[in-house]
Amino acid sequence: MPTSVTAARQFLTEEAARALDEAVAVARRRSHAQTTSLHAVSALLSLPSSTLRDACTRPRSSGYPSRLQFRALELSVGVSLDRLPSSKSVEDPPISNSLMAAIKRSQASQRRHPESYHLQQLHSSNNNTNATGCSQTQSILKVELKYFILSILDDPIVSRVFGEAGFRSCDIKLALVRPPVTQVSSRFSRAHCPPIFLCNLTDSASGRVGYNLMFPRQEDGVDENCKRIREVMAKKTGKSPLLVGVCAMEALRAFTESLAKGKYGILDDDLSGLIVISIEKEINEFVIERNDEKMGLKLKEVEAVLEKGNGSGEGGVVLHFGDLKGLILDGVLGDFVTSLVLKLAGLMEVYGRRLWLVGAVDSVEIYRKFSDKFPSIEKDWDLHLLPITSSKSSFDGAYPKSSLMRSFVPFGGLFPTPSDLRSPLSGRNQSIPRCNLCNEKYEQEVDAVMKSGSTVSVADQYSENLPSWLRMAAVDTSKGEDAAKTNAGESMLSAKVLGLQKKWNDICQRLHCTPTFPKLDTNPSVSHVSIVEDPQFSTDKKQRSGDDLSINESLFPNQSPSRQVHMQQNFLQKSTASTSCTSKGRNMNFLSGLSLAQQTDKGVPCFHYPQQSLSSSSGCTPSSFVPPVTTDLKLGTIYASTSQGSITAKSLNHKENLQHFSGSVSADFDANSETTSYQFAQSSACSGPTSGQQFDLGDYKSIRKVLAEKVGWQDDAVNSVSQAVSQLRHRYQSSYGMNCKGDNWLTFFGPDRVGKKRIASALAEALFGSQECLVSVDLSSQVKVGQSNSIFECEELNGYDVISRGKTVSDLIAEELRKKPHSVVFLENVDKADYGVQHSLDLAIGTGKFPDSLGREISINNMVIIITTSAITKGNINVIREKKDIKFREERILGAKNWQMQILVGSVSDDACKRNDTGVWVTAMKEASTSISANKRKLIETAESSELEKAEAQEREHKLPRSCLDLNFPVEEEDEGDTRSGQSKSESLSESSECWLAEFFSQVYKKIHFNPFDFEGLADKIVKEISAQCQRIVGTGVVLEIDEEVMVQILAAAWFSDKKGALEDWVSKVLGRSLAEAGSKYKLSPESVVKLVACEGVVVKEQAPGIRLPAEINLK
Amino acid sequence: MGYNLLEALNVRVVGSGDRHLVLAHGFGTDQSVWQRILPLFTPSFRIILYDLVCAGSVNPDHFDFTRYTTLDPYVDDLLNILQALGVERCAYVGHSVSAMIGILASIRRPQLFSKLILIGASPRFLNDEDYHGGFEEGEIEKVFSAMEANYEAWVNGFAPLAVGADVPAAVREFSRTLFNMRPDISLFVSRTVFNSDLRGVLGLVRVPCCVIQTARDVSVPASVAEYLRTHLGGRTTVEILRTEGHLPHLTAPALLAQVLRRALAR
Repeated sequence: MPTSVTAARQFLTEEAARALDEAVAVARRRSHAQTTSLHAVSALLSLPSSTLRDACTRPRSSGYPSRLQFRALELSVGVSLDRLPSSKSVEDPPISNSLMAAIKRSQASQRRHPESYHLQQLHSSNNNTNATGCSQTQSILKVELKYFILSILDDPIVSRVFGEAGFRSCDIKLALVRPPVTQVSSRFSRAHCPPIFLCNLTDSASGRVGYNLMFPRQEDGVDENCKRIREVMAKKTGKSPLLVGVCAMEALRAFTESLAKGKYGILDDDLSGLIVISIEKEINEFVIERNDEKMGLKLKEVEAVLEKGNGSGEGGVVLHFGDLKGLILDGVLGDFVTSLVLKLAGLMEVYGRRLWLVGAVDSVEIYRKFSDKFPSIEKDWDLHLLPITSSKSSFDGAYPKSSLMRSFVPFGGLFPTPSDLRSPLSGRNQSIPRCNLCNEKYEQEVDAVMKSGSTVSVADQYSENLPSWLRMAAVDTSKGEDAAKTNAGESMLSAKVLGLQKKWNDICQRLHCTPTFPKLDTNPSVSHVSIVEDPQFSTDKKQRSGDDLSINESLFPNQSPSRQVHMQQNFLQKSTASTSCTSKGRNMNFLSGLSLAQQTDKGVPCFHYPQQSLSSSSGCTPSSFVPPVTTDLKLGTIYASTSQGSITAKSLNHKENLQHFSGSVSADFDANSETTSYQFAQSSACSGPTSGQQFDLGDYKSIRKVLAEKVGWQDDAVNSVSQAVSQLRHRYQSSYGMNCKGDNWLTFFGPDRVGKKRIASALAEALFGSQECLVSVDLSSQVKVGQSNSIFECEELNGYDVISRGKTVSDLIAEELRKKPHSVVFLENVDKADYGVQHSLDLAIGTGKFPDSLGREISINNMVIIITTSAITKGNINVIREKKDIKFREERILGAKNWQMQILVGSVSDDACKRNDTGVWVTAMKEASTSISANKRKLIETAESSELEKAEAQEREHKLPRSCLDLNFPVEEEDEGDTRSGQSKSESLSESSECWLAEFFSQVYKKIHFNPFDFEGLADKIVKEISAQCQRIVGTGVVLEIDEEVMVQILAAAWFSDKKGALEDWVSKVLGRSLAEAGSKYKLSPESVVKLVACEGVVVKEQAPGIRLPAEINLK
Repeated sequence: MGYNLLEALNVRVVGSGDRHLVLAHGFGTDQSVWQRILPLFTPSFRIILYDLVCAGSVNPDHFDFTRYTTLDPYVDDLLNILQALGVERCAYVGHSVSAMIGILASIRRPQLFSKLILIGASPRFLNDEDYHGGFEEGEIEKVFSAMEANYEAWVNGFAPLAVGADVPAAVREFSRTLFNMRPDISLFVSRTVFNSDLRGVLGLVRVPCCVIQTARDVSVPASVAEYLRTHLGGRTTVEILRTEGHLPHLTAPALLAQVLRRALAR
């Protein structure tokens, strides 16, 4: 029920009543039905000496220029008023309830205020004497304007309007309450002191600079560059600014203009009254026409002015010599410039105190030309080089658009407007009538903007009269804060929703095209999650929590029935020992995943599962779910029992048998499954390991047998590895799984990369039943791109892979460990590990837990960790030394590429007479390639191979851009010296890591040295083999030349191949066939030479079985 | 007073070591962007982290639109922080706009910096006659108007573009920090950045620099790294990272850390 104006007026003092009258007038003008607080605000702002306006100016803390902010305020008030329903013109629109309530509030607050008691008395007495009103009004407290405004500001609508313009109503209120004198103190009393962005700490002592810098916005229109120039000029020495930069000339012009205009505030008292004299034109004439007359005159003039100033001690001259480039003619500094430079220097010397030279130069290079010619110019001219990086002129109109604020309002803390702090959920329902319509429009607009990129606003029809920067605000307010709020909340949400999807790209695309509004409503669980989530960096896993919740629920009901089934299955399972072991491994994996999740999620209301555990569980199907009972198992015991099972199996069976086991049923196999199931039952009953201790010796022997079978050439290493492992296992059993630090760590030193790896995988098979249980990471692979074109294709985890971008190596390792909790971890080239990995390894060996970069830890107590380094330690240093001159070094073999081979047929060349008995020899076809040192080769090869890999493997990732190579080459070439220095640096770097290595290795349980692989011997063997083949097929007379490259390739393949006799097979089948074909095609005579060469650049398409060599050899 | 500055810009000093290292984030991020790099350097450096005044994590009230019209006030902030912390010499790692700030700071106080490492740095984003900055004036205006029209949409479109590599986590993270910036500030800062032109002053740098550039970066073309190398006054090296995007510290922290380590060792 609106109150009449006269009734309201009686509560107000005259001043306040006048304001109310104004407000009523505003309402009438707009033919609104009622007079509201908004009208009052509008009226208050339009009053000539407005208290409100004054109050708004004072506490201005935000960075907006006040003029603009007021404009914004006026507009937002106007817009809000526009939105009120208009009605038939009323003579005096009555006071709305809200405004009336405000008046009552102000009355109450005034009454509470003790200091106003006196005034109150005064007013009532005034009323008495004036006797204007009825008797009952005399007791009414008249509200002062101040309190009236204060309570109006409390009105939510009003404070929102202020908030939109960037004001805080609480600030304004504070300013109203405090008298203007305390302006500064009110500035500082607000929450906290303003930060000192502005003061130079050293200068803050001198009040002048401090003052200047403290209130920079009073000098409206003075830009940063001018300020800097001024600062330079205020210095004692080096006070002639020479602006350097592309925009320097512009900045200089702006500065001199502002100086000439004598803009208030541009200069301090010290520097006021300066006269700008430009000799730019004169210099130009002087340089081009060699006419120094005018120049002389001008300088005289300058001198005269200075002379005058000197007498009075006032004023000064800013001598503006313009662009330094002007002094340069045709790129040379003429001698004639010297005179000018000297003249100016003379002036500076005499009138230095009151003379400033200002100038600009495009780039330092031009200035350098000057300073080269006039080395003392900097001192003589008292120059200070001032970098100028932008010009102001391009900045006009770049002032903030308040329309943009809508999207940050939801962040609450950033821009606190108390009335906005409604919860998004409750707020959504409180929509203003037009909300839906506007929503639609808004969405249309979003669509339009996204699709066409045009900025034509649909909202224009509402507020065509508004400047563009308020349009959005208008739309927003009509739509209600809530919509805007949820809008932003949703964008955060949508980011999370995105995280829930596996295919980021697709979803991302879709989201860009569709408005995100419905998301919130349809997906309440997601919104819940988003609240729980911490705003800091969140990992994938956490973001999956939404998923997990549901999966979690769906998972658990299934578990109990499947558990029983599974137990039985385990007992009766008719499968191979190895598979049962692997499935067990997976189960364990899931379990440890579970426990891990439980650990990490303590205290967090919702349950997060690591992604791995989920995926592994789904991969294993429900039947492989292990009942929670087994979580109590001592990990060490499982480790022992499972490995026993597999080892006994292995000692009983042939290796081939094991490989082709699945499906076939045999007696051996039955026995096997019995043992495993027995052990499983045992362990699930939580009993300690009772059996197996007597296997100690057998253990050693069986391991040794398996290893030796795989790596026949590393006898010593095999011996010590199997010894170490059996000791290890023995200790596990005796100490019931309690292990001491680092005792499951082995270090492999020395060369023979393949051998090391082979042993590791054999160990994985021996200990954990499958080669799958090997986590292999090459820590050096992040340095160089994996040579996937080479024979040693890195199929396993590559330290730095395209897929793994965004993760550290530690993360990758941790992830793998989590997947395979029972495994042999094989970390190659630990000497090349980056710091993060070093750190993780340190912790791992110390604590038995491997931490990833997020601090989550994975227990490694039931793993065998093998770290390798090719570094040579004292132990086997002599081994390397003695074979210094070998032809086939390991580096070279490792660099071997998987090229297609071809046979060329030619006639006997001159040098062919030195052929040896066998008729086969290895030649270096390309002298260059052999002469290049191994190091350089490597460089080139990696580059080449990565390039080719990309060209060839398009179906694979093509994320690594090709252009990087083009970029790299020139850089590398030009920085020849640099790379060299870089190498020396990396050496020094490795020195520091050497200390770490030494310390690290000292903690490792066992060090095992490897001998270099005997490539020479193998080569001889291969040559013999081939020559025998050759003789058999094409006869004795024919000479077979094998390119060294091919030889390297064959060696590498033979080294790498784990199938016995694969090479012999290849020689007899592939090579033999090709030779036979060549023989029939070319009619080989004793004079002909058959060459086996590599087709560089052509990658093998089809591989021979068991060995990485081409299945066919091209004929030419 | 100094305390206030440190507080306002969330200055943090972490790590142990006798050398100081400043990690300065770029546009659209805040200091959290370093969190994957940070642990790798804390043992050997005292690392100074701070937020640019335009970052979303800083109270927007501190952003003075009349003051931060050029990069120089940012430089003031940096130098004031270092002074307040009593740092006399430090290495500086700056990304994008902070690289520019670092360049300017090192011009003003050459003795303060032992080394500048500039990630995704560009002295000038706009193309010029004989300079390829990667952007045309018209394009920039379009970007600005897109930002004005719908900041959120712009963020969602821009973030994957800037991150470049297919790393959803990084895109998410960058979106977050980018969206945390108040849109008007964000727009203002990008205008400042695009108006800046450091080409003329590069020669004033005397501090040895290392320019780290990814193989493909939407914001910085490859030629810029070369331009920096030839024009920076100090001894300068260029490192090309074999990854993509403008934010290698988000997408390839391990790779970047390695290069950083190497660069810092020099």
